[in-house]
Amino acid sequence: MYGIGLLKGLKVTLKHFFGQHVTQYYPEERPNLPPRFHGCLTFEPDACIVCGICQNVCPNRAITIKSEKGGEDGKKKILTEYRIDLKYCMFCGLCLEACPKGGLRFTDEFELATYHVEEIGRVLYRKKVEE
Amino acid sequence: MDVLENLFTNIALYARNLLMEWSVSYSVIELVILFLAIIGILGLIVLDALILVWLERKVVGFIQERPGPNRLGPAGFFQTIADTLKLLSKEDVVPRSADRWLFLLAAPIVFVPAIMLYAVIPFGKDMVAVNLNVGLFYCFSIASLGTVSFLMAGWGSRNKYSLLGGMRTVAQMISYEIPLLLSVLGVVMIVGSLNLSDIVSAQRNVWFILIQPVAFVIYFIAATAELNRGPFDLPEGEQELVAGVYTEYSGMRWALFFLAEYTNLVATAALAVTLFFGGWHGPWLPSWMWFFIKVYFLIFIFMLVKWTYPRIRVDHLMHFGWKFLIPLSLVNLVLTGVGIEIYRVMGG
Repeated sequence: MYGIGLLKGLKVTLKHFFGQHVTQYYPEERPNLPPRFHGCLTFEPDACIVCGICQNVCPNRAITIKSEKGGEDGKKKILTEYRIDLKYCMFCGLCLEACPKGGLRFTDEFELATYHVEEIGRVLYRKKVEE
Repeated sequence: MDVLENLFTNIALYARNLLMEWSVSYSVIELVILFLAIIGILGLIVLDALILVWLERKVVGFIQERPGPNRLGPAGFFQTIADTLKLLSKEDVVPRSADRWLFLLAAPIVFVPAIMLYAVIPFGKDMVAVNLNVGLFYCFSIASLGTVSFLMAGWGSRNKYSLLGGMRTVAQMISYEIPLLLSVLGVVMIVGSLNLSDIVSAQRNVWFILIQPVAFVIYFIAATAELNRGPFDLPEGEQELVAGVYTEYSGMRWALFFLAEYTNLVATAALAVTLFFGGWHGPWLPSWMWFFIKVYFLIFIFMLVKWTYPRIRVDHLMHFGWKFLIPLSLVNLVLTGVGIEIYRVMGG
């Protein structure tokens, strides 16, 4: 009959009206992220051999490594600073794949916005200056 | 229960007695009572708008499986107040090339007929500001005045979107006024009176929606079009016309248009309740409470319809109005006349 479709439409919306809503109340309720979520990087300084592969493999040149010569024979590279500029990082994960020691990992930290552009870079490691 | 039932009439009686004691002349008393009624109605309009904006956003949220506004106050109820304060603080922009007076006057003019409608609506037992014997006629003549302000706003804005929106509004409102009136005529024929209080008291035993179901459906569709609400909201269809006549309005003037829209919505729902749902008749609860329960239920249906159907195309709208609704309402009118005659012959 003419107009039955209209009534069906009303029935659908009425069903949804009384149904459960699917909104996640974000700041109060944290999202349940998958285990392989690409959030901010973490870095284990003890594993790093300062090979610089992550720095070279990064498509956006977001990673900066600073090192100094040191160690027993004075030839070993010692890490002094590991920096990642998050405004360039696109969370592709190539650095993770390239790292021979598996020292880089993604965390599920995703709230990376800052108030000032200077703050957006993140120093993952800085050698303590011995006094 | 009696106290609640007669709450508002007792307030009026108390004010009347108080003025009598101060030996004020009769005409002044009547004026004061009328003034009180107007203040009550204005308060009702503002309160209704506050509730309805919140309710509309809640209803659409629930339909789309979201919670709707939920930050400010209980269930986001104070969101409307925050929005109103924001609108009040905004600049009242008048475009440089606009027709200044038409542009400025359109917003108040759209609001005045919307308020005037409330004068004759019986909100409860003995609760009508002006008991006019041509109440229904008054309602429709006032309601059609709103069309003028839309044309003023559309023409005065000097904006092609506004003008197109205004012309569409006028075409739509004029076309849909005819089936609206014709659908209501059936009720008038049965009651034999244009007085809204008489129409309500004629429905003491049976609501007119049972006698005139087709008329109610026509009334509902035509009223939706009159209100420019979805699915007939093409005068302000964003995809084609930015915001139609509202394009150039900002701040409080835009809010007035918005307020008028909701005021008209309540008035139309109240009129539908008066004509088809037995007005304030109902068991147990006070009469005015019944009236508002029915009005809000009908408004909920209006909202459900708005958020269910997609917008209709402008030529389809005209076809539907002229080629379907008007003939249907005429047929309904003829059948009602025949029915009344049969009833008279049978009943004696």
